Amino acid sequence: MKKVTSENVHEYLARYMEGESTQEELRLLKEFFGSTKDLPSDLRPYAQMFIVLEEKVQTPSVEALDRFAEGQIPACRKHLPMWPMWVAACIAVLAVVFLTPPKGDENMAIAYVDGRMIKNDEQAMQIGQEALQEIFNNGDGEQQLTDLFNAK
Amino acid sequence: MNGTMINRTITTIVVMMCVALCAFAQKGLCINDVFEGKVVLKNQMQESLIKGDNLASYKLKVLHTAKFTTHNINREEVEKLFNEDMKSRLSDDDENMEMESRNGHLYYAIVQLTDNEKGAHRFICYQCRDVKPGRYDITLVYMEGSASLVDLRKTFKRK
Repeated sequence: MKKVTSENVHEYLARYMEGESTQEELRLLKEFFGSTKDLPSDLRPYAQMFIVLEEKVQTPSVEALDRFAEGQIPACRKHLPMWPMWVAACIAVLAVVFLTPPKGDENMAIAYVDGRMIKNDEQAMQIGQEALQEIFNNGDGEQQLTDLFNAK
Repeated sequence: MNGTMINRTITTIVVMMCVALCAFAQKGLCINDVFEGKVVLKNQMQESLIKGDNLASYKLKVLHTAKFTTHNINREEVEKLFNEDMKSRLSDDDENMEMESRNGHLYYAIVQLTDNEKGAHRFICYQCRDVKPGRYDITLVYMEGSASLVDLRKTFKRK
């Protein structure tokens, strides 16, 4: 029966690294590295390698796989609560209503006199112009004197 | 929907609401309260609101004026609101504002505010005249357009 020894281990390792080892040879290599103490320094990395290969890889349970798969279902296929979408839609509608400048009022001229609305362009313009002239002339001289007199 | 997504949705909604509120806040002026009849009743004032083509020759887009006679308390309220809006004036240069105060009260002001949008200059004007002790004639104006204060002076100042 073949056996891996310190003398032929390099030969077995070379075959293993080339991918030519049989299952039996692999078992012998593992056995050699698992049982031999005081390995020469050039073989110690191989011993570490076989220890790692020997460790069992944790395989997830069926339940764990199911739970994982559940988490991977695209969000659109889940049953989503509708309230955030309704809130977002309401905000969007309000934003459009309040932030869009009113189109119908692009041209308008109205005035209010004694609580009555006057929808007459000329009259509205006249009231507006009078107010502006009053402001820009800051009252005539006579009015300014009256103001100064009243202020004392 | 997990907790993270709910948090994200709520954050998005809150951000959207803040943006919308900021937009409204920029639009509004304190003196709007006067134009809306919250200080002096609408039926006690003479008001004009003109927008669009009628103002094209003045290089204006909006003109809103209000004139009324009122007592001391309302005068102080209007003055306070106007002073609040004056804080967002463009500058203190003569090119951008005129002002006259007497006895600690504002009597006259024309102020250019910072633009809301490029090329749309905004102006607020205030004039107070003593009618008799405790009674005042107040004129309030809001203007918006491409006209500068120099243009407006040329147009409306009597020669």
